[in-house]
Amino acid sequence: MNIIETKDVNFYYGDFHALKGVSLDVAKNSVTAFIGPSGCGKSTFLRLMNRMNDLIPETRLTGKCLINGEDIYDKRIDVDVLRKKVGMVFQKPNPFPKTIFENIAYGLRVNGIKDKAFIQNRVEESLKSAALWEEVKDKLSRSAYDLSGGQQQRLCIARALAVKPDILLMDEPASALDPISTSKIEELIFTLKAEYTIVIVTHNMQQAARVSDTTGFFMLGELIEFSDTKKMFLNPSKEQTQNYITGRFG
Amino acid sequence: MRWWIEKIVEKIFAASGMITTVVILLIVIFLFKEGFGLFNSPVVEKGYALCVNAVNPVEHIGSTTIKKIYNSGIENWSEIGGFNEKIVPFRFDDIFGHYKEEEFGENYEKLPEKLGEVIAQTPGILAFIPEEYLPKGVEGVKILDGNTVRPEDFFLGQEWIPTSTPAPQFGVLPLILGTLWVSLIAILIATPLGMGVAIYLSELAQSRVRDILKPTVELLAGIPSVVYGFFGLVVLVPMVQKTFSLSVGETAFTGSVILAIMALPTIITVAEDAMRSTPRAMREASLALGATHWQTIYKVVIPYAISGISAAVVLGIGRAIGETMVALMVTGNAAIIPKTLFTPVRTIPATIAAELGEAPHGGVHYQALFVLGCVLFLITLVISISAELISKRQHNKGL
Ligand SMILES: Nc1ncnc2c1ncn2[C@@H]1O[C@H](COP(=O)(O)OP(=O)(O)OP(=O)(O)O)[C@@H](O)[C@H]1O
Ligand SMILES: [Mg+2]
Repeated sequence: MNIIETKDVNFYYGDFHALKGVSLDVAKNSVTAFIGPSGCGKSTFLRLMNRMNDLIPETRLTGKCLINGEDIYDKRIDVDVLRKKVGMVFQKPNPFPKTIFENIAYGLRVNGIKDKAFIQNRVEESLKSAALWEEVKDKLSRSAYDLSGGQQQRLCIARALAVKPDILLMDEPASALDPISTSKIEELIFTLKAEYTIVIVTHNMQQAARVSDTTGFFMLGELIEFSDTKKMFLNPSKEQTQNYITGRFG
Repeated sequence: MRWWIEKIVEKIFAASGMITTVVILLIVIFLFKEGFGLFNSPVVEKGYALCVNAVNPVEHIGSTTIKKIYNSGIENWSEIGGFNEKIVPFRFDDIFGHYKEEEFGENYEKLPEKLGEVIAQTPGILAFIPEEYLPKGVEGVKILDGNTVRPEDFFLGQEWIPTSTPAPQFGVLPLILGTLWVSLIAILIATPLGMGVAIYLSELAQSRVRDILKPTVELLAGIPSVVYGFFGLVVLVPMVQKTFSLSVGETAFTGSVILAIMALPTIITVAEDAMRSTPRAMREASLALGATHWQTIYKVVIPYAISGISAAVVLGIGRAIGETMVALMVTGNAAIIPKTLFTPVRTIPATIAAELGEAPHGGVHYQALFVLGCVLFLITLVISISAELISKRQHNKGL
């Protein structure tokens, strides 16, 4: 069953046509990577799926975007509920200026959860899932800003996991990190796959090849190719894709 | 060449920073220096002195006590720590009831002597005498010359009557309380309103509305306070009087409302800037976790902007506390300790503005006004320091 389905999605920033007829399906518990040159619309597409683009004034969408078979741009959809189901990790780590504990607990608290023991358990669980627990278990009440960049990014992943989303969107989650932190995050994506559906944007071709099952290649707002990752990297069906992944195209 | 220019510019900036700091420090020092003499100045009116009988153990009589004695509020020395003897207040003029005109001699050269006689004969006397006729060296007379203004009379005194004789009353309590009272109410009115508008402007208003509203609010900050005062006097004073059926409309409340209106633009603009400076990443992080717009505002934006918001409130308080014209025009200027919203009050800045011109330079009144200035300075200092601490603590707590 496909957890995400988009049909002929067009997206406009004012007059600018940023996404052109994008249609794709994402299978449950898979990792999907989006690659493509800068400005091709990867982030825009990702942000469609948790309606983050709603925050930007004067934007317009046509086409259908379904999650679990539901049109998320339907008028009856509650955006807050949608965003609980579709978590997001941003390019730059963006923890709140709160304690490590409160960062993770935030998503639970805004959902009206007050049970202390429950929150405590969920915080621990999420930090463990994000492979951060061992590093921070003794300093949960320290500011999140005391963590390194890589730890902050894993904290943000843990924060997103704490509300138990179905889908985790990651926009270049490792681009600001060193190689060791990057590989930690990649390992993490591997293990998270069992429980979550992950959509990741990356500029790093090897990363896409390593972590994803399916890869989509965007260029100038168009989804040029969308196929099995192995096939995409070994034997792409489009010349543009071939050029891009072999570095002949910037 | 370029290196030299950079060096010179750097030096100029450093120098201007230094100069500004020094000038501000000098102003503060001047303020304190001018005021400091107050506590070395005699309690009684200039040119006069107090005398008592030599057997009287009393060394110091405060200005409030003197006033009470002359108004028959205190009748026995034992009430103020002396011996059990009825107090006999004696003014200079009273001497002419004791002796005939001729007895003072042609040029009144015997006057001090006669005064001395009266004082020496009356154990309970408290005599208020011009310095030129002081019975110096007369046996049985004690001149209270170390009788200076005491801090407790100044800070705890409940009456501000600089023209009172024999001892002018410089009790600043009503002025301090009046100032704090008016400012407190003003800030209680202005903070929620200002925050509301700031939240609306920064989080809810469409950009077109904001583009009109924000400059308008900023414009309000530029209106001279006299204009606000005028508005208050002509519109608000009669309105308050009618609405609350008071005998006069010039009350603490009236002043507070105008001051609140005046503080609003500052509070709004500073708080709005602070909230808008919340990074987009923070808002997005919150919304992406399923927080609603309102949850994001009060759990992320406001905590993030809290130091800016407290700065806004402090600037607002500063404006309210230091504001002179409005206070002078609409608060009624009665130096009484405020008990309700609708008592007329008198604030420190209004007092200074109204009285400095007629206080003789270097005199007690003048010094008292300068100490008032110091008090005002210290009040604002305390407020800004506490705001600083609050916002620091907020930050350390990690919001
Ligand atoms: N808020 C916005 N307003 C107007 N145009 C925008 C906005 N955000 C993105 N765009 C435009 O939309 C296009 C796609 O942007 P997007 O951020 O989706 O690219 P991207 O593929 O994520 O690029 P990168 O790899 O550099 O992150 C770009 O041309 C960009 O200029
Ligand atoms: Mg991007």
